[in-house]
Amino acid sequence: MSTAPREPLGSDEFEEPKPSESTPSSPESAALDAAETTWRREVLDPALAKQGERQESFVTQQMHWPVKDLYTPKDLEEIGFDYHEDVGFPGQYPYTRGTTPAGYRQDLWKMLQVTGFGTANDSAERWSKMLEQGLNGFIIEYDLPTTNGYDSDHPLAEGEVARAGTAIDTLADMEQALDLPWDKLQHLNSVCNAPQPVNLAMILAALEKRGIEPSSFTLQMSNAILIEYTCVGRYIYPPKHGLRIATDCIEYTIRNHPNWIPITVVSAQLYAARANPVQELAFGFSIAMEYLDATLARGFDIDEVAPYWSFVTGLEMDFFEAVSKLRAYRKIWARLMKERYGAKRHESMQLKLISSPGTTGLTLQQPLNNIARLGIQTLACALGGGAYAITTPLHDEAHALPSEEAVRVGIAVQNIVAHETGVADTVDPLAGSYLVESMTRKMEDEVFAEIERVDAMGGALAAIEAGYFQKELARSQRDRHREIEDGARKQIGVNHLVQDGEKRTIEMFKLGQQAEELQVEQLVRVRAERDEDLVAKTLERVREAAIGDENLVPPIMEAVKAYATQGEICDVMRDVFGVYHPDSLTSGV
Amino acid sequence: MGERKIRVLLAKLGLDSHTVGVTVIAQSLRDAGMEVIYTGLRQTPDMVVQAAIQEDVDVIGISSLSGAQMQHIPKVLERLREEEIDDKLVIVGGVIPDEDGEALKAAGVDQIFTMGAHTGEIAAFIREWWDQGDR
Amino acid sequence: MARDPIVLADQARAGNQAAGARLIRMLEEGEEGALQGLRALLPASGKAHLLGITGPPGAGKSTLVDRIVSEFRRRERRVGVIAVDPSSPFSGGAILGDRVRMQTHATDPGVFIRSMATRGQLGGLARTSFEAASVLDAMGYDVVVIETVGVGQDEVDVVELAQTTAVVSIPGMGDGIQSIKAGILEIGDIFVVNKADLPGADRVVRQLTAMLHLRDSAAGGWEPRIVKTEAERARGIAELVDGFEAHHQHLAATGDLQRKAVQRRERVFYDVLRERAAARVLAATPGGGKEILASLRSGRLDPYEAVDSLLGTQKELE
Repeated sequence: MSTAPREPLGSDEFEEPKPSESTPSSPESAALDAAETTWRREVLDPALAKQGERQESFVTQQMHWPVKDLYTPKDLEEIGFDYHEDVGFPGQYPYTRGTTPAGYRQDLWKMLQVTGFGTANDSAERWSKMLEQGLNGFIIEYDLPTTNGYDSDHPLAEGEVARAGTAIDTLADMEQALDLPWDKLQHLNSVCNAPQPVNLAMILAALEKRGIEPSSFTLQMSNAILIEYTCVGRYIYPPKHGLRIATDCIEYTIRNHPNWIPITVVSAQLYAARANPVQELAFGFSIAMEYLDATLARGFDIDEVAPYWSFVTGLEMDFFEAVSKLRAYRKIWARLMKERYGAKRHESMQLKLISSPGTTGLTLQQPLNNIARLGIQTLACALGGGAYAITTPLHDEAHALPSEEAVRVGIAVQNIVAHETGVADTVDPLAGSYLVESMTRKMEDEVFAEIERVDAMGGALAAIEAGYFQKELARSQRDRHREIEDGARKQIGVNHLVQDGEKRTIEMFKLGQQAEELQVEQLVRVRAERDEDLVAKTLERVREAAIGDENLVPPIMEAVKAYATQGEICDVMRDVFGVYHPDSLTSGV
Repeated sequence: MGERKIRVLLAKLGLDSHTVGVTVIAQSLRDAGMEVIYTGLRQTPDMVVQAAIQEDVDVIGISSLSGAQMQHIPKVLERLREEEIDDKLVIVGGVIPDEDGEALKAAGVDQIFTMGAHTGEIAAFIREWWDQGDR
Repeated sequence: MARDPIVLADQARAGNQAAGARLIRMLEEGEEGALQGLRALLPASGKAHLLGITGPPGAGKSTLVDRIVSEFRRRERRVGVIAVDPSSPFSGGAILGDRVRMQTHATDPGVFIRSMATRGQLGGLARTSFEAASVLDAMGYDVVVIETVGVGQDEVDVVELAQTTAVVSIPGMGDGIQSIKAGILEIGDIFVVNKADLPGADRVVRQLTAMLHLRDSAAGGWEPRIVKTEAERARGIAELVDGFEAHHQHLAATGDLQRKAVQRRERVFYDVLRERAAARVLAATPGGGKEILASLRSGRLDPYEAVDSLLGTQKELE
């Protein structure tokens, strides 16, 4: 692996000499300096003498980077901004302006919808309706028992079955869930990290039963177990075993279903856990590289696998931080692939990114305000460019599960930004902005510095095992909370323009009383009807594979087809790998 | 010399794994001088009550964001009564719909702090309760 | 719940966890009468095997303790655990998270886990860890495991408290076992190389063997054992627990158990004497010694002068 040629501040071996105020590098620059000095003296200062600035200092919302009153060509000169090296053309290295040459002029982003709750039948009905409404893909979220590898009749599952997503116990459930208008579906995203090989095997087996050609659509798996250890909490096995089964899925998919996406680094989850943009990118990329290294160890070449890596990011309200983050996101990935891994193919260096407005920026108070927030975040997504899909934001998300109205408004928000504002009509419209380019560079430098810190610990897996990511995030969570509580950061409806006596009503999606019962009934029925010997035999094969180093997906597929439950399959692996109990998330903070 | 410290058990029941809230609260109570015993994820009502007994805590805080609060919390309260340790302060935080909040209070929860509550408010509430009682 | 320490002691001895827990709390907070309760329990104590687990952060102590408890339970022993975490020096509060790793035993009536904050105490234990262990002992727990803070300091206090001390290390921590301070090397009875599946485990074992070889051991004395474990996958745990039991038997056979108990009594005697004598001196000084303290803080007196002055004042009073 080669080192990045442009090191972050501090090691300036490769840095070009920086022009500074005292030694302007060109006559134009000298003239600009003089003009600015005059402007400050004769125009700005007298104006401020009458009335000072409204704040003592201005900083960005998350990074707390100082924001100057004015950005000029001098700022670009100071960072040695080079159009070709830093920005280039759309569809060309380093892809700062976008990964495709024509951007949204050619194709708008895909409008995705996160959804899924109830039994598999309820979900299929709802998804079909959404596809009819004009969405072309969606994300399947499973309920907590499913994502934690428990069957619906496990004692811990009580009250959670089919609540936060679809319940899948056996292949029978998956067959029902995938009863969809396949002609309209282009993209399916499945979020089931800890039991990912079981989930993949179930989808494959269900497609086979339904006679659907796997290559007719794109299945995107999150397979994001390292993020689960870092901040989400839906893990089962110790981290290194989590990484192994994730890698099994990646390897299997690349070898057998080359048009699918076997890994998604959901840095949006880090973000929801209050990572600031630098942490989000640095931790996210470190995690991405940990999967990549594990996959390369299975005998692939970087250019065979890197194109499969894809990311989901979240956005916040600080507009320029958001835009700079999206631009830096693409550039850093391109540099990592080229400089560290020696990738040659463009596809390896082109970041595949889904942007996700919402989550942390929304407030429980005055929920309608969130529609404005979502509009602005979606605008930042569009202007930051490069995301091939944007999830549909939901203004009542902070409350609970989304209402039908929120889904409709969310789709409308996306379409308003796409069709009414004109921002999608030219590629990377903010390129060249003195502020945006300065901030993009700063983002890039700080992310590289943090990635190197994680490298020094031995990479993402070691950092997770040592609790580094977790502790850093816990600190961010506390600081962020304090800023809002002490008013250092304004949030409308929360600490500014507060509506006295506002009644906060929280409504949650109400499950039909019977959802859990129905699910358990189906599970019991499937268990009663299957061939127990075959189940035992196939589970034994899963155990052997887990003990050894053979890829787990094929033996799990056999068990799935024998209608072994996902809880049973996960239990076999629990037995072999052990169960993970992390360090207290907060001790040592 | 010994010093009296408020001991608080913070628990997540069931499969709800949203830890941001409980992490922030744990730190803010620690910073308010309390001893916080964090049990981790995937607790059952029995586990919570057993921990409350062994750790002799004064306060039990339950964080719930998945929507399954009505499944678990009444069971915790019931078990506390069975063990005759229902003199503890029980607070619940998270995403709690109003009607659930009312029901939980009727069942014996002392206070509900919904998402967006000021952490200082929670520490102050505990402190005030502590100062009133003869603990 | 009753607050009468004698009643609590009776209930605790009968196995009531809530009573035992309350007594530990009263001891921890120095409540009046708490020592009476403890003294009422002392005749019933002295039977438990007191086991100290120490080692640097990241060595996996909590998970190891969890597995050790499982193994003792398999052997039908009742187990008490005292897990110590640091208090915040700023607020005096603490986040005690060791239970997270011990969830397997959360509802087992044969296991009692108590988290303790150091509350300013150095040395890896809480001030009243020993008293808490005595309560668990008297409650009939056959083994009491004490897990130290593990901040990498010289946590030697545990040796005086425990009968058997296990020192945990893992491969890859700096240069092998550098993280284990020489002092700790002197005091360990069992050395655990945890995470033994990591590369370098055998090297740590070799280094430990070499260093332990240099340790003085009288004829017939205990030969420290080195045990490789993988706590996460529960490997090597039975062998480790065999080691604990062998050491305990060795102590019993050689009379060291008795000697250790005497040492411990002495240590407690001095601790309590120091504490109470200081309290008494301060109480007998006009204004509780506030003036002298103020002089100390302002730098007019150095600590030695301050003590001289305090004791001098008191003498004059008499």
